[in-house]
Amino acid sequence: MRANLRVFFIGGLIAYRGLFNWISPAYYIPTMLLGPIFQILFFAYLGRYSHSGSDAFFAVGNAVQVSAMAGVFGMALTIGGERWTQTLSPVLASPANRLALFLGRALPQIANGLFVSVVGFVAARLLLDFHPALASVPTLALVVVVTTVSCTAFGLAVGALGLRLRDVFLVANPAYFLMLLLCGVNVRLDALPTWLATIGRSLPLTHGIAAARRVAAGAPLADVGGLVGTEIGVGAAWALAAYAMLRFFEAESRRRATLDSM
Amino acid sequence: MTYLRIFWTGWFFQLKNLTRSGLFVFTSLVEPLIISTLSFYMFKAGHRPGTLFYAALGAGVLGIWSSTLFGSGGAISWQRWQGTLELLVAAPPPLIAIVVPLAIATSTIGMYSLTATLLWGKFAFGIPFHLVHPLLFAVAVPAAVVGLGLFGLLIASTFVLYRAANALANMLEFPIALVCGVMVPLSILPGWSNPIGWVLAPTWGVRAIKRAALGGDAVTPILMCVGLGAVYVVLGAYFIRIMERRAMQRATLSLT
Amino acid sequence: MAVVEAVDLRRTYRTSTGTFRRRTLEVEAVRGVSFEIREGELFGLLGPNGAGKTTTIKMLITLLIPTSGTARVLGHDVVKDAREVRKRIGYVFGGDRGLYERLSALDNLRYFAELYAVDPARQKRRIAELLELVGLTGRERERVEGYSRGMRQRLHIARGLLHDPPVVFLDEPTIGVDPVGARELRATIESLKDAGKTVLLTTHYMFEADALCDRVAVIARGRILAEGTPDDLKATVADRTVVEIEAYGVSEAAVERLRRVPGVESVAVEEREHAQLLLVQSPQGLELTRALLQEVDGEVGRVAAREPTLEDAYVALVTER
Repeated sequence: MRANLRVFFIGGLIAYRGLFNWISPAYYIPTMLLGPIFQILFFAYLGRYSHSGSDAFFAVGNAVQVSAMAGVFGMALTIGGERWTQTLSPVLASPANRLALFLGRALPQIANGLFVSVVGFVAARLLLDFHPALASVPTLALVVVVTTVSCTAFGLAVGALGLRLRDVFLVANPAYFLMLLLCGVNVRLDALPTWLATIGRSLPLTHGIAAARRVAAGAPLADVGGLVGTEIGVGAAWALAAYAMLRFFEAESRRRATLDSM
Repeated sequence: MTYLRIFWTGWFFQLKNLTRSGLFVFTSLVEPLIISTLSFYMFKAGHRPGTLFYAALGAGVLGIWSSTLFGSGGAISWQRWQGTLELLVAAPPPLIAIVVPLAIATSTIGMYSLTATLLWGKFAFGIPFHLVHPLLFAVAVPAAVVGLGLFGLLIASTFVLYRAANALANMLEFPIALVCGVMVPLSILPGWSNPIGWVLAPTWGVRAIKRAALGGDAVTPILMCVGLGAVYVVLGAYFIRIMERRAMQRATLSLT
Repeated sequence: MAVVEAVDLRRTYRTSTGTFRRRTLEVEAVRGVSFEIREGELFGLLGPNGAGKTTTIKMLITLLIPTSGTARVLGHDVVKDAREVRKRIGYVFGGDRGLYERLSALDNLRYFAELYAVDPARQKRRIAELLELVGLTGRERERVEGYSRGMRQRLHIARGLLHDPPVVFLDEPTIGVDPVGARELRATIESLKDAGKTVLLTTHYMFEADALCDRVAVIARGRILAEGTPDDLKATVADRTVVEIEAYGVSEAAVERLRRVPGVESVAVEEREHAQLLLVQSPQGLELTRALLQEVDGEVGRVAAREPTLEDAYVALVTER
């Protein structure tokens, strides 16, 4: 999936405007739709062979993960491609703009993420032993949106760090793998060593997936309120961390007079 | 014109070229390590410890496949972007003879993945490393590398006519891994997909490696893998000639 | 027998524009180009950017299929006999691309030597000779990514000569190279001729064509406008005078008026930093200076009259048709 995303965004769909203005089906369909479907199938069959989980477990885990990763990468690449003086400094300077700007960039990623996961869920429903109740769909959609939002916020932090290190992929790729391993996408957290599980819990996506699994199994929104809340909290925390990082890097770049070279 | 010399020179040249690409080596190592770690935990959670070595081998082959796809899928496009594609076309040997060693070099990098995965399995997860047919294993691995490399070449040569080749090629990682039974045996997949797997070299390559390691007839898969590879060279030659001709007609040999 | 023969070469490109409503445009880059190059000649294809030089050369080196027309190199058709042509030619192009960056010059040369079937026993010596020729000895083990533009150019020339081809095609070899480096490159190109090779050189530097080429074909907008030795071309404007007027802030309208002054053949405007240099061509003997100065608005600096150069001939050819 990561490879798909990398290609997708290198293929030129980085900018906010770009995402919807010139999506070519030839790029979009394989990367955003077919790729995720096969990821779901791959892990579902691996799960069947290893007897480590039901189809539903893997379907939900991966379908949510792909939409979330679209959010992480989308945001990270948008930020990572910025130059300080052009957009970020003004952003950080004026309080009114910050939220608007974030939303402006995040919305296409979120919408895209939601669409991708819908396709993933439908494919899982058709191809695997996964039968969520129709009634759970709206709640599921809500959980997916929340998770994608919090992952987009995480993408801010990834992008900020990538901007500082001058190579977004240096941060984004490892982030992708960490999340694949540690957020309960294909392995339950209790099957991991404690220290890894702890890292997993401090990342977004983890609680979102847990909530989504329960909802798909029939739980009402009230039951997963705690998980959803935690997911939002984690996302918000990462957004704050991203903000702090960006301000720090900006100050640092002023001190070192490297404003434009970042 | 000795094609053998061109093969060895090209193979070694491209191997050197790829090894110096940090991104490429990183990708070849990290992804299989993560996938293998995931599968180790999954297999452990499912309480099937005997199959951990099986999982390690599968993840290693997945690494070879991942490198191949990453390298070959982008190889022709990357050469075009770098401005070297037209030089390769302008050279006397047929393009297929030039490109085959480059493709196999890409999958050879996958050897790093296989080694890393097995070592990781052994030292981080205590998976015992015991080969039933060590000599056949030593043959199976290069056979798989060749088979997968040539398969990657075939894919690259068919897709290169289309701008979205990169996207299409990269998307193939999981589907091929599934259909070829890299991580899970063909028997648990829907029956209709098995014939697709039988005509793809990776299926035989991974089967050769696993049987050489865990027991069973490894010779047939080795032969099938290499045999299919030869077929791919013929097909690839055909597609590459079409691509070359079209590029010369449409002047796309050196477009970025 | 001509070593390189182009007969009515034509090449049309189809491009599409727009993202949602794609329109296809047909661009005729080369419109019936014909010429011959004799053995041992250094032939120049001179023209502005977009004239069709690169397209023409790519057809000759078998990288591009002509839309119509034929071409032969050493008797072999470039389309039907491409492989035979490729064995016998060297291709050098300008710019930064075309080399394997992460590897050394030596690695690059060894690889291409193998592709061009240079006898393995002689490869080492041949490579060393070429490195010496292009002045890269001692730096061949460094990675190409650290090379300057001039060094890359020189490496390209070395690469193009590995198999000692009788015909060498050079596509804007000195473009973007610093003056000193360019001068060295030109000396190397001249030595190719001394070695008996047949060379086709494309360039948009007039002085380069003048200095190096035995014969020059001026190409613009896909057609050959004139062909001959540099002296022949200068002769087309030999009966003219060029009046150079240094003007500050001359307007487009004034330039137009200048063009319409009776007797004026052409007016070219060269932008300098704070001024423009107007180059007015007119037949010798006509004293037009006063008439010209009357039309020029703004301030006027130096005014001089001189004999035409190849550059003026070129300007005349390219603008007057």
